[in-house]
Amino acid sequence: MSSTQGAIRFSKANITYPNGVVGMKSLDLEIKPGEFVVVVGSSGAGKSTLLRAVNGLNPLTSGEVEVDGIAVPQKQGAELRALRKRVGMIFQDFRLVKRMSVMSNVLIGRLAHVPGWRAMFNLWPMHDREVAMQALERVGIPDKAWVKASELSGGQQQRVGIARALAQEPAIILADEPVASLDPVTTHQIMKDLVRINRELGITTLVNLHFLDLARQYGQRIIGLRFGELVYDGSAATVTDEDFRDIYGRDFTEDDLLDEGSEG
Amino acid sequence: MSTSIKPQPQGRVGWATWATFIIAALFVWSLWAIEFSPARMIQVPGQLAEQLSFFYPVDMAYGWDAVLPAIVESIQIAWMGTLIAAVLSLPLALLGARTLFPRVARFVKLISATARAFPEILLAIYFVPIVGLGPFAGALAIGISSVGMLTKLGSEVVESIDFGPVEAVEASGGSRWLALRYAVMPQVLPELAAHWLFRFELNIRASAVLGVVGAGGVGGVLLNTLRYGHLDKAAAVLILTIIVVLIIDMISGEIRHRIIRG
Amino acid sequence: MAIPAKPPRNWWLWGGAGGFLLAMTVWSAHGIGFSLNELFCNMGMGSRLLNESFPPDFAFLPRLFGPFMETLYIAIIGTVVGGILAIPIAVLAARNLSLGKLVWFADRNFMNILRTLPDLFWAMLFAAAVGFGPVAGALALSVFTIAVISKLWSESLEAIDMGLPEAVRAAGGSWLQMVKFGALPQALSQYVSYTLYAFELNVRSSMVLGLVGAGGIGMILETQRANFEYERVTMIILAVLVAVLIIEQISESIRKRLA
Repeated sequence: MSSTQGAIRFSKANITYPNGVVGMKSLDLEIKPGEFVVVVGSSGAGKSTLLRAVNGLNPLTSGEVEVDGIAVPQKQGAELRALRKRVGMIFQDFRLVKRMSVMSNVLIGRLAHVPGWRAMFNLWPMHDREVAMQALERVGIPDKAWVKASELSGGQQQRVGIARALAQEPAIILADEPVASLDPVTTHQIMKDLVRINRELGITTLVNLHFLDLARQYGQRIIGLRFGELVYDGSAATVTDEDFRDIYGRDFTEDDLLDEGSEG
Repeated sequence: MSTSIKPQPQGRVGWATWATFIIAALFVWSLWAIEFSPARMIQVPGQLAEQLSFFYPVDMAYGWDAVLPAIVESIQIAWMGTLIAAVLSLPLALLGARTLFPRVARFVKLISATARAFPEILLAIYFVPIVGLGPFAGALAIGISSVGMLTKLGSEVVESIDFGPVEAVEASGGSRWLALRYAVMPQVLPELAAHWLFRFELNIRASAVLGVVGAGGVGGVLLNTLRYGHLDKAAAVLILTIIVVLIIDMISGEIRHRIIRG
Repeated sequence: MAIPAKPPRNWWLWGGAGGFLLAMTVWSAHGIGFSLNELFCNMGMGSRLLNESFPPDFAFLPRLFGPFMETLYIAIIGTVVGGILAIPIAVLAARNLSLGKLVWFADRNFMNILRTLPDLFWAMLFAAAVGFGPVAGALALSVFTIAVISKLWSESLEAIDMGLPEAVRAAGGSWLQMVKFGALPQALSQYVSYTLYAFELNVRSSMVLGLVGAGGIGMILETQRANFEYERVTMIILAVLVAVLIIEQISESIRKRLA
């Protein structure tokens, strides 16, 4: 599906928000094509900032971030759009247009692939419709294609969100707290979908997670952030409770675990 | 809730009492200033009753021949006026949304506030000499004066939408324009259409009076029948206007509710 | 999993709606002689008119003071009379307070019929009945005010908490006492707010009432317009706009404070 790679590299990247808050502090990080990376940290640690720097939603204050050796443009324009075409994004609150059909929502992922006038007049080439339908099949809800997005459950809506990202035929997928508004059962389904898609298509995947047990269960590589700084980088297989304590700067509680108390 | 029926503290006059007193004084002063004396007041009901008796029998033949075409013209004026306003206000509503275009929005809001201040009949006074007596001048006046309100309401609709999808479109490499097309328009269009319909209902009333300055519609007919004292014909104007407006209000209201419910 | 075919659009609905809109537009445009051509051809006429309209005749301003005050008097009388008469009409049009279904139904229809006629129609009718002058204007605005306030306020009354009125009733209070002590106090601030809003509308329409001989500044406007004194017309309209905007600002700030 995706033609290429998807390597990400941060070098000495800094982000300071206009209100003075530091979102990213001299970050050096390299992510290889096809990796499945889980980013953890307490809220405000800069997880979203990291993801949103990759597709230029948050511009860097200094330093550089590259995708496949090409610097992410820091200004709005055609170059930035060309980069974003190759980077799909999944949001905590799904960000679907609820009044439109599922198909129309997924086709939003094809906007950058068709000439502007075609998109303006809703004249989608056959090829793009097929790509969108395949994306829906991959997340298992092709039967919902013509249903209005508002009529779906939360888990189904997030699947549409994933399908929209897949329809871009991206090299990278950024998932910003994709399960934070879902119930535990749906959460596991969505995480499994993300892992499966990463394996099947080799799309580099970055997932922000708050829950430690999910990070350990589904992550391949875990990155820990604290106040915008990289404080942990290692394999999910070997990460210890001690490491998590360092990342969070405190003892973690059952609030940080998804399945604590429910089904174990 | 129970505070309002507490007894007033003794010895202190509340602001409500003051306000009532001032309004009463202004009211009496106004009556005096326009010479609406008690003697005159007593006359009024008699005069009204007398005139009302001339309404009967209603001259319905005149109604079908002269009034109905004029009402039809009023509807046409209102329709074209609303259409002009809808077309002009759509881009202005987007530009007037603070959340989308923070810099332009202030300016657009200022223009729309000015346009709203003009009663359509005053605009018609200017359009009549330009395009000549008749309904075209009326449609232009209605159109321009509706732009202000539709822009204001439209901007509020745009400001109230969910902005998530806008970022989603931009994150997938879509341009600003495509974000407007795919994330903003689908969310706002039904509400905007409902506002257009509501404005159409108001514009039928507005266009009905434009005949007074020669801008077409049923208002001129009413003015003439009254001027020559043909109250039986005036009654036909009133009855037909009421019936037609009620019917259009009902249909339009029903469509609006369906659009909003989606 | 089976992939469903795209469901066919509801062509009857969409085609019908589109066709209706188009037909309505063509019919209307034809009926009123709509032509962009005419508009652009007459642009020269428009610029001449603008030339005649500017600069406004400022020397005319002092003569506007008297008629302008008359306009304000008309608006005040109309608001007060209409505001008081609107109270019973609104109460009887509120489903939860009205005296039985029949009264409710009759009052509601009465209210809707009042609302169908524009302010200037009332002005023409009263001018014909009681003669040209501000009295006709004041009567016309009274009716117009009833229509505006009763509709809005009956909706607020329907939204009140019925606990208190029912308690008044349970304690042996009459219907009038229930309305007075149980219902009205709850919607008092809305009443004040709607009355101020009606006052704004009244100031605005009292400016044009004179066009049909119902008193106020519109009467001067009508004479100057008939004589094509557009420098004076512009002066009047500018003065009216400034006055309307100032009064609206004051009224709006009071309404905001009440809300």
